[in-house]
Amino acid sequence: MLDRLLRAQSIAVVGASKGKTPTGADKLGAAALRYLVEHGFEGEIYPVNPKERELLNRRCYASLRDIPGKVDLALLLVPAPACLAAMEDCAAKGVGAAVVFASGFAEAGESELQERLISVARSAGIRVLGPNTNGFVNVADNVLGCISMVCRLESFPRGDIALVTQSGALGGSMLGNGIELGGGFSCWVATGNEADLTVADILEYLIEDDGTNVVAMFLEGIRDPDRFMRACHRAGELGKPVIVYKIGASEASARASASHTGAMVGSDRAFDAMCRRYGIIRVDDAAELVTTAITMSWLRDKLPRGRRVGIVASSGGICGVAADECARWGLEVPELDPETQDRIRAAVPPFGAVRNPVDVTQQIQSYPTGMQDTIRAVCESDAVDGVVLLMTMAAEPRASFYARAFCEAARASEKPIIVAWAGAVSLASEGFPMLSANRVPNYRSARGAVKAMRRLADYRIFLERRAEKCET
Amino acid sequence: MRDLSTAALIEAARARGTRALSEHDSKRVVAAYGVPVCREMLAVSPEMAVEAATEIGYPVVLKGCAPELAHKSEAGLVALGLDDEGAVAAAYEEITERMGGTCEVLVQEMVQGERELLLGMVRDPQFGPCVTFGLGGLFAEVLDDTVSCLAPFAMTEALAMLDEIRAAPILGPVRGLPPVDRKALAAALVGLGRLALDHPEIAEIDVNPVIVKGAQPIAVDALVVLAQPD
Repeated sequence: MLDRLLRAQSIAVVGASKGKTPTGADKLGAAALRYLVEHGFEGEIYPVNPKERELLNRRCYASLRDIPGKVDLALLLVPAPACLAAMEDCAAKGVGAAVVFASGFAEAGESELQERLISVARSAGIRVLGPNTNGFVNVADNVLGCISMVCRLESFPRGDIALVTQSGALGGSMLGNGIELGGGFSCWVATGNEADLTVADILEYLIEDDGTNVVAMFLEGIRDPDRFMRACHRAGELGKPVIVYKIGASEASARASASHTGAMVGSDRAFDAMCRRYGIIRVDDAAELVTTAITMSWLRDKLPRGRRVGIVASSGGICGVAADECARWGLEVPELDPETQDRIRAAVPPFGAVRNPVDVTQQIQSYPTGMQDTIRAVCESDAVDGVVLLMTMAAEPRASFYARAFCEAARASEKPIIVAWAGAVSLASEGFPMLSANRVPNYRSARGAVKAMRRLADYRIFLERRAEKCET
Repeated sequence: MRDLSTAALIEAARARGTRALSEHDSKRVVAAYGVPVCREMLAVSPEMAVEAATEIGYPVVLKGCAPELAHKSEAGLVALGLDDEGAVAAAYEEITERMGGTCEVLVQEMVQGERELLLGMVRDPQFGPCVTFGLGGLFAEVLDDTVSCLAPFAMTEALAMLDEIRAAPILGPVRGLPPVDRKALAAALVGLGRLALDHPEIAEIDVNPVIVKGAQPIAVDALVVLAQPD
């Protein structure tokens, strides 16, 4: 249904220009066209602007109606008052979908204008993204209708994470951050006012997309809960995790209600209850949305079978921090079995701690395979379901020595390994980037790594319970 | 399948024009869906109250009973720990007098236990019936320690919910108290979800407190609130 939007083969850019803003940046109509061209869209591009003859070496049309070929998608970069006429052109041309970028609709009290725009689209069978949106980027297919400056990045690394956000500005930031953290994306869609297409429509489509395995969503509210829940149910069936950061937890939750339960369970907790039912991973921090999505993307095939964690570090201090964080987030740090302890004892310096947390001490650098051997022993122990590796201050070349050991261990392990690199990364200029390059999830704190492990364990438990339910 | 007596109780409340079922009717409704409730009988005379108390066994509790009667304790409509016929008859007179003469009085077994829990349901306009488990009684209001799941859900899910309140260790064993019958609690949660799905007229349910007597959770108060008729 959304192919003519997200997989459009011909795109008209209505309001394309070469104009600059007073600060010297491209105007939106110039930016959208430039991004489309620069990111290698392979289909037909039709700039539309009666004042221009040519833009970026492409013939410019005075009107949508003058375009000779078929147009799948129209990007409307004209101001709100001009959108209605542009949508009528779309209808006359038989366009399949439109992105309306302009603000000045329902979000600004102009609900009637928005209604009229949508009724024109609806009667012509045009699906609309927006208004008041930054658009979308289909990374997998190089299709984009986007005005977010995140498109200034030279390229978007491909991957299996789809990002769906109601806010365009925040969505662009999340995509940018995610890319800097080494994440790979299939798609980003910002839904804006959702006058037609909602997050539920987008989720429904992306869940079925073979190139998407993880969906991360930033939500303010849900307009069509039934469709949303159906899509989440389907995501569970396919084992594709949906991760949500939803604002509104701070809103007064009390309902006008006659019971205690009603007074205590406000709309935000009802959202929690919905997440629990469908296995949606609800994170409680906007940054965590992206990091959890990346970790999920890299470790989806190695979910921990339980909540027992092995901790390995070369500092007793951070071992203690990690153990505390495990307790805080409901993970166990069990004592390792005697055989594993013996294996570790043989691999580490005499003053190391071998019970779990495992402190290999700073002296481990004198034991060329000590770190790998220790991590392997912990990973192979039946006492743990996942391993958190922690690195304190290490400069090159030692940083690379450790990072290499971590990456090798992660590759060999069937259990999830998550790294917390607490030291200065500028002094680990080769080692630290090695982690993301090898798809080893990495955080800058013990808390980040431990919390991520908890999220993975929760999702695994959800999948197991789901399977049980299907059997019974 | 809709429980016929539940439907009839809801119809009767609608016919009376009340939004809430009485405590006694509320308990009948939730009991039909697997929530363990205390033994109780309605009495309309002191003699009936004494007879009921004898059958249930002393000590008993007397409560004024009418639809939409909230804050019974604060209004002096609850008499606890009545040990003999004289106390029951006197409490009956006192309660009916406070309620203006004509009313029904509930005679209940006096359930004693250290731990009080809450089961509930609220129908969210967007997502549907949210079944809630948490600390009950006074602590429900003060600590606000609950976990909710959208219905329907299975026993495994309900059992997992029990562990997710902050105060989960209270389910024991703890300080000489035996572990609570978790299956009974979980089955009650699953049942409330089914009740909500079978009867969309119900907007909210409170089963609070559920007192843990030995290992057995027993609901001593319940409230079923109906949605505003369309």
